[in-house]
Amino acid sequence: MNNYSRKRFKEGEEYSRALFFLSPFIFLFSISLFQVLNLTLLQGDKYQTIAESNRIYQKPINPVRGFIYDRKGILLAENIVQRDLYITPAYIEDSSKTLLTLSNLLNVPYEILEKNFSKRVKKAKKFDSFPLVKALNEEQIAKAKVNLDSISGIEVKATLKRYALHKETLAHILGYVGDISSDEIKRDKLLSELQNTQIGKTGIEKEYDFVLRGKPGIQTQERDVKGKLVRVLDTQGAEDGKDIFLTIDQKLQDHLFKLFKNRRGALVALEPKTGLVRALISSPSFNPNILNSIVDTDKVESLFANEESPIFNRAVSGQYPPASTLKPFVGLAAIENEVISWEKKIKDNGKFYVDGDPRPYRGWKENGHGRVDMRKAIAESSDVYFYNIAYDLTLSGIRPMLDNFGFGKKTGLTDFEANGLLPDKKWKLGYKGDFWFKGDTINLGIGQGYILATPLQLAMAYSGLANRGIIYQPQFIQPEDEKSFQPKKIAEIQLSDKKDWEKMEQALIDVISARNGTAHKVFDTNSVVIAGKTGTAQIKSILPGRKYDAIRENPALRDHALFVGYGPVEDPKLVVAVIIENGESGSEVAAPIVKSAINFYTGGFNAE
Amino acid sequence: MQNRPLSFSVDIKLNERRNLANFDYSIVLAVLLLGLFGLAMIYSASGSYALVLRQAMYFLLGIILMITAAISNFRKMEPIYLNAVWIGFFFLVLVLVLPNSGNTNRWINLGFIGFQPSELMRFLLPISAAAYLTRNPQIKFSDWMIVIVATLLAFILVFLQPDFGTSAIVLLSGITPIILSGLPWRFIIYSFLGGIGTLPFLWISLMDYQKERIFTFISPEADALGSGWNIAQSKIAIGSGQFLGKGYMEGSQSQLDFIPESHTDFIFAVIVEEFGFIGALGLFLLYAFLIHRLLYVAKSSNSKFAKLVAATLSIILAAYITLNISMVVGIFPVVGMPLPFISQGGTALVVNMITIGIILSLRRTT
Repeated sequence: MNNYSRKRFKEGEEYSRALFFLSPFIFLFSISLFQVLNLTLLQGDKYQTIAESNRIYQKPINPVRGFIYDRKGILLAENIVQRDLYITPAYIEDSSKTLLTLSNLLNVPYEILEKNFSKRVKKAKKFDSFPLVKALNEEQIAKAKVNLDSISGIEVKATLKRYALHKETLAHILGYVGDISSDEIKRDKLLSELQNTQIGKTGIEKEYDFVLRGKPGIQTQERDVKGKLVRVLDTQGAEDGKDIFLTIDQKLQDHLFKLFKNRRGALVALEPKTGLVRALISSPSFNPNILNSIVDTDKVESLFANEESPIFNRAVSGQYPPASTLKPFVGLAAIENEVISWEKKIKDNGKFYVDGDPRPYRGWKENGHGRVDMRKAIAESSDVYFYNIAYDLTLSGIRPMLDNFGFGKKTGLTDFEANGLLPDKKWKLGYKGDFWFKGDTINLGIGQGYILATPLQLAMAYSGLANRGIIYQPQFIQPEDEKSFQPKKIAEIQLSDKKDWEKMEQALIDVISARNGTAHKVFDTNSVVIAGKTGTAQIKSILPGRKYDAIRENPALRDHALFVGYGPVEDPKLVVAVIIENGESGSEVAAPIVKSAINFYTGGFNAE
Repeated sequence: MQNRPLSFSVDIKLNERRNLANFDYSIVLAVLLLGLFGLAMIYSASGSYALVLRQAMYFLLGIILMITAAISNFRKMEPIYLNAVWIGFFFLVLVLVLPNSGNTNRWINLGFIGFQPSELMRFLLPISAAAYLTRNPQIKFSDWMIVIVATLLAFILVFLQPDFGTSAIVLLSGITPIILSGLPWRFIIYSFLGGIGTLPFLWISLMDYQKERIFTFISPEADALGSGWNIAQSKIAIGSGQFLGKGYMEGSQSQLDFIPESHTDFIFAVIVEEFGFIGALGLFLLYAFLIHRLLYVAKSSNSKFAKLVAATLSIILAAYITLNISMVVGIFPVVGMPLPFISQGGTALVVNMITIGIILSLRRTT
């Protein structure tokens, strides 16, 4: 065994064995050099970009949201200081202990704190702070200020929060703001620059969000691996949002809103000669201020679950049968198509029969209005008269006139408008799967059946009557100078005889002024002269053999009350459409609101 | 252990003059260059004067010990070298016995100074092994067996600390002189196969964090914010250095603490981030040059002992350099290993410099 190794092991083989031993390391060394070359030269640009994004943090600087004023400069929406409780995980040793302390201190359930905390803590870097409780109340702020010094990592920060000063009164016009959703960021990339801020969800707040919002500034910061600020590299200040002046007359709006107390319905009041909307109400309403707080989640949920749908904007999205308020347009169509003359009288005995159908079409008055001409038929709202002319006009005779006055079309006031419905044969076949019958035309003649209109559409159509055929684009944004404001025409209706406008207006004046007018109850010598039309929209058709009295036992099935009017007739300043859901009588509930609106607005009323 | 004259050393022509001019000064220069560069990089990575000062003191101590070792006569030192391994075993046992804070027992604290016995062992073991194997002109098979037993013992003691990376180095440092001294190839192959056979048992005995590191290496993207994060950040730092680097103290990844352990194990990433590919290439060349010069000592020496010691210590040094860099660039699992002469850490620096000194002392006898 002594010479065991010597047999094979030659002198100097130590060195060659060493090289052999070294070879894997030489190999690894070469690969490493190649990897450095690969990382720095071949992929250097990519890693440079990643290193930059590691280092740079773009901290958004939120702009201040613009205020909203009414036409006269009354403040409608502003920003108020809200105090939120912020937490910085880096300074928290035991999160559950801290949360428990806070829960007891602020009287907020531990589960809510835990949920808010765990939701954000995963995404946040160590030194990032985020809101744990938003909108602290006075008591919580007081308690927090006294005790928070002893809890590290917790601070109260002031942020700006939207505040609608007039709460329910303007809710549907202004809309509300809320946290930015991920869907919204997908649609609008600009929103990703706004953090911990709220944007408009409905109404003016949404439609003019890009004006109100402003442009966020950016502070370019260098941060270390824990997210701790090292230095500020660059600051670009935020561009604050612009203020908006609305066409709304807050005093008028306020006054009218009170009249809607305990009523469901809607109102649209606008200047016929400019299209500027002066008041818009949807009732019941809601307080927009509770929708932008995460504290009142219960209230928010009940708001959305409410059967009366307070968030729904009835004034522009509610679709109702126009009922008798449609009659002036059907009347004008009949005159224009020479189906009837102003003078020709038709006998109204309360019933109208179509050939071959034994069932009568009934008027609202049991025994009819006797022999009526157009003026009287409008003033007294004779159904049989309009059954007759609608029958003669046929659908193709009625539709163009209604179309001219804007029925079935959006006005372009807001994004939230409904179309209404101006039916035709194709529509009925498509949606109802049935042909258009003469009976459908007869119902259309009195604004019932399939036709639906929004209160806004009704106000617009009546502004056409007030303007002798011209309809202006409605808008919410107050022009800088009302006197030099050039409104945009969206319709210009020509009648072959211009005197027909005056004649129709006279009939509409009779509705209130004439003793037999359907709204004569609101006649008042102190009031300016108003032209208008009542309407009673049936929700449920009365089957043969049944009386309305049986139906009205269910309040939800009671007729809707409508009134649309404008005044003063010598120089129309305001056109107002009012609908009171299940209000039954247009003359009793809707007409007084219209009268009040016009008189309040023109200042000519002293019996308020 | 008896101290008898080495019978084969009579052939060697001894240079009687203790002539410093006979050193390979390029080795000294390279080491000083690396050490000074290390101090600069530790400052860039940590931003701490205190750390740099500490390291500088170790560096100074290292220089003194290096020169002392270099001018010593290795032949007179041989009895010491032969028994040095007992010091290593003493501390390795001591470190396991002494109570320590944390999960690992790696440090011995002497009050004013702390050091890692495992770092000591990885150079005491090969020197003693070389001395033992070459104490007679012919190596007996039992000599190899004894060295293997000692090596395995040292390996287990370090593994128990636990320190996976250094235990592997200790194993390497004991096995290298055995193989270099002429162990027949078939034994080498048998042991290699046997070693593979023990791998499953090794795997079982690994700590969770060690297993995790291996998993991370296999699939670093799977857990980018967890354990793969370190290597990802290191690669970002290296890649973003591009050709010329971002400049000294200008590397964002290192200055903003994105690189983990930036002044110790991952200091190579800081170097490339701040000095780019050019800096990395320079460092590679310097290391390659150093290893080349050290191996030349092994090649040119007439002494079997000198050959064994010089070659083994060079290989250990090369292993450290290679494994550290390949870990930092992401082609090898993360094992805690410093970059020789550059990474912050006193024991490693001093041990490495003594190693150089010993190799230099072998050189001067030629």
